Amino acid sequence: MTTTSPAPEPTASGTAVRRKEDARLLTGRGRYVSDLTLPRMRHVAFVRSPLAHAHITSVDVSEALETDGVSAVFTGDHPALASVSLRAQSGLPGYVETDQPPLARGKVRFAGEAVAAVVADDRYHAEDGAEGVDVEYEPLSPQVCAWASPEEITDPVHDEAPDNVLLSRTFRAGDVEAALAEAAVVVDREVTTNRHGGNPIECRAGVARYEIADRKLTFWSGTQVPYIVRTQLAGLLDLPEGNIRVIAPDVGGGFGVKAVLYPEDVALCLMAMAMPGVALKWVEDRVEHLLSATHAREHRYVLRAGFAADGELLAVKADAWCNAGAYSVYPWTAGIEPLMAGGLLTGPYKLAHYECTVRGVTTNTSPSGPYRGVARPSTVFAMEALMDSGARALEMDPIALRRRNLILPADIPYTMPSRLVDDSGAYEACLDQALETFGLEGWRAEQQRRRAGGGKPLGIGIGIYNELTGLGRAASAGPRMAFRTGHDACTVRINPDGAVTVFSGVTSQGQGLETTMAQVVADALGVTYDAVEVRIGDTDESLWGFGAFSSRQAVIGGGAAHLAGEHVRGKALALAAALKEAPVEDLDLRGGEVYMAGQAKSIISLAEVARVAYLQSDRLPEGFEPGLEGTKFYDPIRGAFAAGVQLGALEFDPATGEIGILSWVCVEDAGRIVHPVIVDGQIAGSIAQGIGGAMYEHLVYDEAGNLTTGTLLDYLMPTSGEIPELTIGHVSTPAANPTGVRGVGEGGTLAPNAVVAGAVADALGVEVDDLPVTPASVWTLLQGVTP
Amino acid sequence: MKCPPFDYHRATGVADAVATLDAAGDEGKILAGGQSLVPVLALRMARPAVLVDINHVPGLSSLEVRGDTLHLGALVRHLTLAEQDQHPLLAEAARWIGHTAIRSRGTVAGSLAHADPSAELPSVLLACDGAVQVAGPGATRRVGAADLFVGALQTDLGDAEMITEVELPVPDGWGFSEFARRHGDFAVVSAVATRFGDRIRVVIGGVAGVPHLVSPPDSTPDLLTVSGAVQDDRVAEIADAAARGVEPASDLHGSADHRRALTREVVRRAVAQLAGTPTSDRTPVPA
Ligand SMILES: Cc1cc2nc3c(=O)[nH]c(=O)nc-3n(C[C@H](O)[C@H](O)[C@H](O)COP(=O)(O)OP(=O)(O)OC[C@H]3O[C@@H](n4cnc5c(N)ncnc54)[C@H](O)[C@@H]3O)c2cc1C
Repeated sequence: MTTTSPAPEPTASGTAVRRKEDARLLTGRGRYVSDLTLPRMRHVAFVRSPLAHAHITSVDVSEALETDGVSAVFTGDHPALASVSLRAQSGLPGYVETDQPPLARGKVRFAGEAVAAVVADDRYHAEDGAEGVDVEYEPLSPQVCAWASPEEITDPVHDEAPDNVLLSRTFRAGDVEAALAEAAVVVDREVTTNRHGGNPIECRAGVARYEIADRKLTFWSGTQVPYIVRTQLAGLLDLPEGNIRVIAPDVGGGFGVKAVLYPEDVALCLMAMAMPGVALKWVEDRVEHLLSATHAREHRYVLRAGFAADGELLAVKADAWCNAGAYSVYPWTAGIEPLMAGGLLTGPYKLAHYECTVRGVTTNTSPSGPYRGVARPSTVFAMEALMDSGARALEMDPIALRRRNLILPADIPYTMPSRLVDDSGAYEACLDQALETFGLEGWRAEQQRRRAGGGKPLGIGIGIYNELTGLGRAASAGPRMAFRTGHDACTVRINPDGAVTVFSGVTSQGQGLETTMAQVVADALGVTYDAVEVRIGDTDESLWGFGAFSSRQAVIGGGAAHLAGEHVRGKALALAAALKEAPVEDLDLRGGEVYMAGQAKSIISLAEVARVAYLQSDRLPEGFEPGLEGTKFYDPIRGAFAAGVQLGALEFDPATGEIGILSWVCVEDAGRIVHPVIVDGQIAGSIAQGIGGAMYEHLVYDEAGNLTTGTLLDYLMPTSGEIPELTIGHVSTPAANPTGVRGVGEGGTLAPNAVVAGAVADALGVEVDDLPVTPASVWTLLQGVTP
Repeated sequence: MKCPPFDYHRATGVADAVATLDAAGDEGKILAGGQSLVPVLALRMARPAVLVDINHVPGLSSLEVRGDTLHLGALVRHLTLAEQDQHPLLAEAARWIGHTAIRSRGTVAGSLAHADPSAELPSVLLACDGAVQVAGPGATRRVGAADLFVGALQTDLGDAEMITEVELPVPDGWGFSEFARRHGDFAVVSAVATRFGDRIRVVIGGVAGVPHLVSPPDSTPDLLTVSGAVQDDRVAEIADAAARGVEPASDLHGSADHRRALTREVVRRAVAQLAGTPTSDRTPVPA
């Protein structure tokens, strides 16, 4: 008898296993919505409003209908669409509910709103037809600014909200006025952040097909949230939910832009129902995307903070305005940005006295929606601006001031003034590691050397942040909507050959969820990574998942995958025990083989167990059902906070304002890391998007409500040439969930605004109040300081 | 973003291209690299009835130095411009055009005919006092750089005229500087400085509808360098004068004042580079 057990199988989690999706995505064999070709498929182009705010007085489609290749034209008044409205709902007191028609009815509320849709043989003909649709407008006065004084509003965007305010909420803790009165210093800041958007490589895309015989609608959509889409469509289209199948095939980036159900999506489905048997395809182009996919981050903050003489942050008082655009984004509502802003403004800092009023204000601009990091790139900028002002007023080192106020491990769980419960406390650990990696002393010395020797001014910027990830039912994303996004489901099925198929509710837009889910299931179940295949994105295949947003899927979908894997492992071991007449508690499943404690040789393979379960019912022991699968839901109830710190050293050319990034360090707490390369990729990509927002990307409307940055010639996205070498470090404190992970999809976007603006202030001694920071803005700021 | 309908004609020769354009009246357009024209068509900002594709016309891809001048066929791609070594200024400027994918298709004549005021090649043509050979329905003609550019995206070329060759004198010294928002972007402001014998020319891009020529009045190169050392204050004077002489507009990427400051800096850099260029043996500069 041998007593040595075999070496434990290496776990799949924690290693950079080959990504499941790479063979497909890296060799040009991805299957995106735009690759889909169906028999009798036709193509759709939308006619979009050239005006920001106007009554529609007439729509003449006769010329369009005569255009070569055009088969149908729909307008907002078409019977198939006329009675349908998207209505983002929230139970928040005072929230003003408004309608969004699939195609404009009676009035247009932003330049780019879809007014009509042309169906044709191909997209070329559809665009020819769109030119032939003659819409007459009677202009109304447009409002593009979300913080205009009420007197300036002559024509409200929605009649229901005469002041354009769709939602307002005040967060309150302690006694702000009393605390300010006791403060040694009080600082004021007024900052604005720049409107920009997600801009995935693949723009929005959908194919809808309706089969009238069985009343079934199939909607292929580049969405991040297929199950939410199915539920919402069922209500809007008046179809049983089981008759709708939503398929998100490969999706080329989302970043939140595709977590929205758009009027164009609903119009496409309604038109498909009006044209049964004809598949309708709409693939958005970049011009449409910039004009009419959701924008984000156009905010204004008026801030006041009080500090004690030793640097303790005593009070924060804030007023915030978030430009919600023309419609309350469906289904998230106009509350998505303001509520996140008010809830997380104070970030990783301890604070007892807090008062913050946030507003979601509708304007004649494209609707705002979720975008990676929702609101927090703006709030971190605002909060860190206060910290820097506080440090200057107290003549204290800005990093020491921050350190003085950080939430520490001893404070955990820490109830923030907004009553969110922080479970992290890793901020100081991240800060220490980041400072060391960055080499703060060296950069400070270089800064002094340049000041003395006349080199380009150099500044150091910092952003410390917490990303609230994997929100459970108690901290659910979104403002008291009709659904709570705290849970996902996962089914683990052992096939008759012993291989494993996972049906997960998660979705992927390039972030490798097939890989991550396979790693988690392989370890929980006790099989090799290669034995696991993952199916995602099809509502007819997997049971349930809310989708990709709020950095939730590794935490929640991963939790469900882990539980389902464990559950099926238990089933398989029970069956193995019965078959082998062994005590189940002595059995272990590793690498697809069942071992008895203390024995090196497997007693039965999982494949054999599965064969019995599916094919050899004659061998099934008493009390066992055929089949070998299981489904589990997981809800973390609260969320997992992920700490992060970024530091940058930037130099500025006084002659041109040119900005050079010399060093960029990020240290984050992603909890237990499932796939190191995927995690670093998420962090690098989100920092790149953050730098884009801080320095390049800006959607600019003129006063008439025309988007002046309508192509990528004027809307500048950073390329690899603009993104510096990033140094990424980790502090891994496992979270209290089945896999110990913390969400990592968004955090990187949170700090670059603060880092870049802070570096300008540090280098040039001027406060940056408005973003983005560009050569022009740096140069202009410099004109004020150098005579 | 799909092109409106058009007829497509693949030209077999210069005469065929010109005849097809002539027959189309003002409804024809040459298709060269397509890197400017195709986006314009996709945005439906132009709707020519006939596209005349000149990519298969033989004999338009040559590149050779005759005398002091580089002669380029209309279809020489930006990538080739960047890789050749007969005209180092041209090579440097071409490297600033877009990205590899764009440079591998875009053509020298296409860029000149498109006449974007921020493009690199029109400035280089003017700074080198170059010219283009033009074929038309009548005779061929030669158009000098100063006459070619009429306004933003506007040239002296007629509807049925086609650039067949570009003549680019090789300068004795040069400098090039560009300020762009990102790698590969059109310039916000750029400057090209050249020296032919003892004449210096400075051309600024991005500050007017056409490349802006400044000729520093008394700027003989011997004043720029003394005993081989660049005279910074002399360079600064030229840069200051250049900045005073432009009337840039404000747009999304910079205010007029910022553009003026950029003008000063890119001119300074270009002229400093020119002054520092080792002088050729043909025109020795007195120490
Ligand atoms: C993303 C991007 C970035 C770019 N960045 C830059 C940049 O930084 N700097 C820069 O200078 N350019 C830039 N370009 C434009 C590029 O340089 C183009 O190649 C050039 O402007 C046009 O050349 P083409 O051969 O592509 O011409 P086409 O696009 O084919 O034609 C352009 C125009 O010239 C006319 N034309 C073409 N050939 C002739 C001819 N032989 N005779 C008469 N008329 C003719 C056409 O009819 C058309 O009106 C960029 C383009 C893109 C897409």
